Amino acid sequence: MKRLNLVFVMALVVAITGMKYSASNIGGAEIMQKVYDLPTGDDTQGELTMTLVNKQGEQRVRKLKQYIKSGEEVDKKIMFFMAPADVKGTSFMSWSYSDGRDDDQWIYLPALKRTKRISSDGKGDYFMGSDFTYDDLGDRHPSEDNHKLLREETINGVKCYVVESTPKDEDYMYSKTITWVIKDVYIGLKRDFYDEDGKLMKSLQINKYEKIQGFWTILETEMKNHSKNHKTKMSFSNVAINKGIPDSKFTERSMTLGK
Amino acid sequence: MNTKSLKLLSWLVIALITLGTVYFTIEMTQNARMETRLDEYMPKNHPDFIYSDQAEEWFNIKDGILIAIENPEGVYNQNTLQKIKDMTKQLQDMDEFEDNDVTSLYSADNITGSEAGMEVESFYKKVPKTKDALDKIRENVKSNDMVYGRLISEDETVALVVAGMADSVFSEDFYNEILSFSKSFEGDGDKIYVAGRPIVEGTMGLLGPADMKRMVPLVLIVIVIVLGFVLRSFKATVATLLTVFISSIWAFGLMAATGIPIYSVSTMIPVMLIAIGVAYGIYFYNHLDHYLLAHVNSDRILSTKHTLQMLWKPLSMAAATTMIGFISLLTSQVYPIKYFGLFTAFGIFVSYLLTMILLPSFVIIFGYKPSKKIQGETKKNNFKFFFNKLTLSLLSKKRTVYITVLVVFILSVIGLSQVWINSSFLDKFEKDSDIVLTDQFVNSKFGGTSTLNVILEAKEKDAFKQPENLDLIDNMQSETKKLNRVGNSFSLSDYLKRMNKVMNADMVEYYKIPENADLVAQYLLLYEMSGDPENLTKVVNYDYNKTNITFQLKGDDSKTINEALAVIEGYKDEFAKNGIELKYAGSGYKALVFTDLILEGQVMSIIMSLVLALIILTVLFKSFKAGLIGSIPVFLTALISFGVMGILNIPLSTTTALLSSIAIGIGIDYAIHFIQHYRENMVQFNDPRQAVQATMLQTGKAILFNAVVVISGFLVLLFSVFPPNRTLGALVSLNMFTSLLGTLSLMMILIVVNKLFLKKN
Repeated sequence: MKRLNLVFVMALVVAITGMKYSASNIGGAEIMQKVYDLPTGDDTQGELTMTLVNKQGEQRVRKLKQYIKSGEEVDKKIMFFMAPADVKGTSFMSWSYSDGRDDDQWIYLPALKRTKRISSDGKGDYFMGSDFTYDDLGDRHPSEDNHKLLREETINGVKCYVVESTPKDEDYMYSKTITWVIKDVYIGLKRDFYDEDGKLMKSLQINKYEKIQGFWTILETEMKNHSKNHKTKMSFSNVAINKGIPDSKFTERSMTLGK
Repeated sequence: MNTKSLKLLSWLVIALITLGTVYFTIEMTQNARMETRLDEYMPKNHPDFIYSDQAEEWFNIKDGILIAIENPEGVYNQNTLQKIKDMTKQLQDMDEFEDNDVTSLYSADNITGSEAGMEVESFYKKVPKTKDALDKIRENVKSNDMVYGRLISEDETVALVVAGMADSVFSEDFYNEILSFSKSFEGDGDKIYVAGRPIVEGTMGLLGPADMKRMVPLVLIVIVIVLGFVLRSFKATVATLLTVFISSIWAFGLMAATGIPIYSVSTMIPVMLIAIGVAYGIYFYNHLDHYLLAHVNSDRILSTKHTLQMLWKPLSMAAATTMIGFISLLTSQVYPIKYFGLFTAFGIFVSYLLTMILLPSFVIIFGYKPSKKIQGETKKNNFKFFFNKLTLSLLSKKRTVYITVLVVFILSVIGLSQVWINSSFLDKFEKDSDIVLTDQFVNSKFGGTSTLNVILEAKEKDAFKQPENLDLIDNMQSETKKLNRVGNSFSLSDYLKRMNKVMNADMVEYYKIPENADLVAQYLLLYEMSGDPENLTKVVNYDYNKTNITFQLKGDDSKTINEALAVIEGYKDEFAKNGIELKYAGSGYKALVFTDLILEGQVMSIIMSLVLALIILTVLFKSFKAGLIGSIPVFLTALISFGVMGILNIPLSTTTALLSSIAIGIGIDYAIHFIQHYRENMVQFNDPRQAVQATMLQTGKAILFNAVVVISGFLVLLFSVFPPNRTLGALVSLNMFTSLLGTLSLMMILIVVNKLFLKKN
């Protein structure tokens, strides 16, 4: 759970805007760097509905409220489960440090009425049993891959760059990814992930994005895992940016309050 | 028809049959395919199988290949741990396995707790170099029930790598690949053992046919020699064997032409065709001899004509009843058995056809003379003397025969009650074979090499977050574990108990199901976020209303499974009270149901054959008494066959159950031929004793020869190295022997006693 804290939503939100780049003679690496560098707010809050659908068509729906605050030395995140009812009030908090220290993580289970520190060696690459890895959520730095602009393409009337990214580390879980980046906006609209054998493994699609308080924000996204026949949908609502969330929101005491 | 045109016709028959045989040979060599996947044998529409297949998909239930690494000095050394890691990673890289299918100390999660919180880590990633770090792994394992005794033996000398394999993946090449892959890790003080159901199935699938390939030529050689000895004619021996071969080729050729695969039970088709086809040939030449000896000056055509006149009626009746007997197997729910019945029936039809047209054609073209020896013997009346004496002594010792039959009957009924069904694969091997010893070794160190899956299903969502249900599961697990042959079990409750303990500062008193449903839900959420969430999908579904409990058993035999089932069934009502349905899944359970189905079909088919024999004989001979008496050989053969299995503790399995089909084939045959000839003799003598004596000399001799030939051939199988093939040889011989005895003693006596077909003046 080392990276549980992270990125997470806002890593998604990261896949944001930047109209200011001009589109001529741009290379694959440059495009991906721009996607990575899209500005986010200092703090973000919102509600996340995460729906997992397994191959039998059964669904797990979870609703969370979350707060994120970026600082110079530490990024703090806290999230509260709203639903299902039996986990309501369960909360997670993580502080990740820019100096490379391991993240600090806490969990509060209301049924146990105790806050516990938790740690993990990062085996849980997948975010909360979903089809998203932390890397998929935007945690992966563009310098870890080689990028190549394949072509330009129009999807549903939206003009995109098609960029192929090949990991420098051969042992990485994907052999390559192909991303459709919206021209001039620099949001990844769609991404295909290929496994070690070069077979299409997962597909990510952005279904809804809006500009909120001047920041491009992804509101609905869906990841399909083709090999497992599993699907994860995430949708964000009531997103607010730069509301000035106080530091007191990110404390062990705050965790026990359940909201 | 004149001689010339008859000869022409005979050549035409030979040409057509050759043509047909060439066609079927080509079909066989080009289109025949073996079906070794056991799943293909199962009836797809049987509710138990449908359910099990579904559950296997819900929870990713697969048969595990167990690779055990033994190091007598202990497994916590760099070398062995490196091997566990390499083996795990290389297996995960194989196309046949998903990462998630491979479980070992390297891939396992170590959930630990402390006063402050909880940690989820690997036991190791890079193999540690220092003794302290190695000891740390050891301590972690020892305090983790989800690993200790499951992946590392309690004496710390054996580590297990388990690779779950889908049934569809199995092939001979893959089996060999896995074995050589595993063995490549041997050395440096480490010994490798490979066990688990896929390996046992694989070994069996290879060993059985390989052994048969060695044994069949020997069986045939013995049959040729003995057949030659009883027929006393080279031509007759060759011709009889040809009918057997050709009928087998046609049966398998038709199978290939219609696209039906060869199943392992299909190998029983030639066995049936040898037993029955040899009889047809013997009847033919026996009649021919008889006629030629009585009419020394008769020519080929006349003698053939007469033989066919004598033979066509009983042979047609016998063939028809036998065929119907086998066709009745179509009622079986198991496809390979249906096909076995169908194609055996077809083979019998071909045998019958060949006896009626090919053998006469041979005689017409190549001629036939009874050997001098038969002529000499007949002159000396050796056979006549022997059979007359036998008949008379049997008739004079009726009571002895009755009492003997009664004793055998009672013993068989007792034996019948002892018969047990065994769906085990392991039990088919020698007790001191590698595969059995390996299995015993792995069983002695770990929970068990075989698995049984119990599936609980509730209507209400979240049922398996309720502590009362989880407690019941936990209870059921610990009660079942008390059985000797049940090692470990694994379910959602094990995760929750571990989490509860870990979240409560690792205190032993918290190693139990949490008391509150919300806490259960929160633990599960926590596990999902921290551990490998796919592990949970193996025990519970998304809606928390279906759950999978895996029991590890120390054997795959039906007794072990049934013992466990008995305890588990005891919980059925309690679960039902909470609205939960209890069902089963997994290959061990399917094998159990499957064997039951085969048995049920087989018993049904024998009962049907009995009824059929009774009806047909009654109609044919226009006498219910004749029908009853004629059913004796079938009845006795089937009864004694099952009785002996019970007494000798030979469990019923696919093959042994099918063997009683010989009762259908041979028993009805013998009865029809015997009674038909007896009836003809009665027309001549109108005296039961005289008629039966004459019949014993003709049909009795043919029956005796047939039994001797087949028995001597199949006794060769007693020298087989594969136990099921030995059982096959013994049971075929036994069935032939009881058919022979039942016909020539009890049935013969009852015919005389009841004065069958006696016309009252």
